[in-house]
Amino acid sequence: MPSKLTRVREESSLDSDLRLYIYRFFIRHGRAPWVAEMAKGLSRPTKEVKPALVRLTGTHAFVLEGNGELWRAAPFSAVPTAFPVKIGRRSWYGNCVWDALGIPAMLHRDARIDASCGCCNYQMVLNVKDGHLVKREGIVHIAVPARHWYQDIVFT
Amino acid sequence: MLLFRSEQHVNRWCRQWNRRRGGTLTLHQGWRLAVEWYSDRLSSQWRPKTTAEAEQAFAGIGLVGDFWKLAG
Repeated sequence: MPSKLTRVREESSLDSDLRLYIYRFFIRHGRAPWVAEMAKGLSRPTKEVKPALVRLTGTHAFVLEGNGELWRAAPFSAVPTAFPVKIGRRSWYGNCVWDALGIPAMLHRDARIDASCGCCNYQMVLNVKDGHLVKREGIVHIAVPARHWYQDIVFT
Repeated sequence: MLLFRSEQHVNRWCRQWNRRRGGTLTLHQGWRLAVEWYSDRLSSQWRPKTTAEAEQAFAGIGLVGDFWKLAG
């Protein structure tokens, strides 16, 4: 039977592998992997992957649906949102404007974000080029104070 | 965290949804925050920012005051 230290190290290694597997899957396929795909991709049983996913939620970057599948792997959203991000021929969704900007920041690529005004839905296209935000007209509003962000991450 | 055309549209949204006005950022600050938060996310060494590191990151782009405090 492995010692507690060995088990913690093994879990930490799995968590790191899973985190990167999820991101690479998002980048390649433009969508979140299912839990079954994570298990297959990592050659690990689902009964090990599910607790690892729950541990990743402790970082607040990962949020699960009620059925245990991914809802968010920040900055990527697993569900369509009002913040589509296009890089080359590929596209993803951010959960909010911060996350939408986070996708080109994470991938270090030029991007087009087809955002719109949260009030009137007026189209506000944002372009990232050569590591800079080209158009800067507009204002970002966050309704929830920072210390309460993770109490209701969906609303935040 | 939503994007708006102007301060007036932020205020209108707050009235429509009966929300108190929160914090605002310029788009430039939003981009800098995104870079600060996500540019190292694909590193195998990545770990979440501590509360102090996050508050320091906010302060570094001018996001200061009680609204941006994570502790307390």
